[in-house]
Amino acid sequence: MNSETRISILEIVGSPICVSEEDGQAVHDKIAPFIQDHKPVVISFAGVTDLISAFLNVAIGQLYGEFNEEQIRELLTVSDMEPDELDLLKQVNDNAKAYFKNRQAYDQAWKDEVGDEE
Amino acid sequence: MDYNLFSIRSNDAGFSALAKLAVVTKEITNDEIELNFNYCKHFDANMAAPLAVILNTLIARKNTIKIASPPWKVEEILRKNRFLQDFGYRVLEDTNHTTLPFAQIPISKPQSFAVYLDDHMEGKGIPRMTQTLEKAFRQSIFEIFVNCVGHSRSELGMFVCGQFYPYDGRLDLTISDAGIGIRQNVRRHLQDGNISSIEAIKWALKEGNTTKSGNKPGGMGLKLLKDFILINGGKIQIASRQGFYQFAGGNEEFIKLASDFPGTTVNLEINTKDDHIYQLISEATPNNIF
Repeated sequence: MNSETRISILEIVGSPICVSEEDGQAVHDKIAPFIQDHKPVVISFAGVTDLISAFLNVAIGQLYGEFNEEQIRELLTVSDMEPDELDLLKQVNDNAKAYFKNRQAYDQAWKDEVGDEE
Repeated sequence: MDYNLFSIRSNDAGFSALAKLAVVTKEITNDEIELNFNYCKHFDANMAAPLAVILNTLIARKNTIKIASPPWKVEEILRKNRFLQDFGYRVLEDTNHTTLPFAQIPISKPQSFAVYLDDHMEGKGIPRMTQTLEKAFRQSIFEIFVNCVGHSRSELGMFVCGQFYPYDGRLDLTISDAGIGIRQNVRRHLQDGNISSIEAIKWALKEGNTTKSGNKPGGMGLKLLKDFILINGGKIQIASRQGFYQFAGGNEEFIKLASDFPGTTVNLEINTKDDHIYQLISEATPNNIF
């Protein structure tokens, strides 16, 4: 049986301010190999004071382009999140799922719609 | 050259007036530009950030700038928020503690922006907001900052400043960049050179739309910002190239600016008397979010 590994966001970022895409990428790069190797991983948000979608999109949302939902659901767990942070992460995940399913369709629909001026 | 600047308010007319200055001075290099404030009877403090974009772009082209004849009321505002410091005016002490001073922040350092907020948001006369409001506000402005950093490609960095209006219970915070603007980003992303500034802003506001390359989802920052502002009773303004957008009281307005405004400016105005609890009714738990 695989034992869980615990990853601290605070330790990876080195700051309680989790806002930049670069820091999100560092977190992603730490998590992804575990899922790749089919090992369960717990991400702890203990000590994080500022958390935004731009960071979470890269840290976690990006995973939906690399792994299927079942793999992510089975292997990834989060801990030490406030209710509003959980809500934010849920929105990020839902957005990521929609993004990877519909990406080209979105852009094409808009191209057909807009007029030109300026 | 000499240029007369008239009153500048934080609205489409104010952005158009600044855009005109940018257009008129667009080709000038190695010159001395005197910006005459004699007819500028009013200047909203937060508009120092977009003005800084224009002036710093001119300075980067080896022009020297002289700020002349500001009426005392305007001078006082712009000395208190330290905008005039770079133009030979001494800083005036902000005795009312209502200013979020003008600052230039490198795009590579979002942590510097956090320091700016920590230094100026608390204990400076700005009333203590509820903890959830402050958290939602910080989250919103970080979303704006990181959004601008990701899309502006601005070598001059970001310009920020703000003003608290105690009587009205309003706090304005403005972030400006001297980048390529939303229109150019969207045009490149969609490979469609005909998209107007307003259409580009509409595209950027649509949930899930992002001009980021690679397999990274995005396009949530502005949606979350609107969700917050709707509950809070505040206001969002975006000026980018020839597009101006305003969201207030649940209403959206898109206005074509008369001139090409450089880069992108986002002004966030929040209602500081808001006592909502910013926790959406959500079923999200660690067990069901993936």
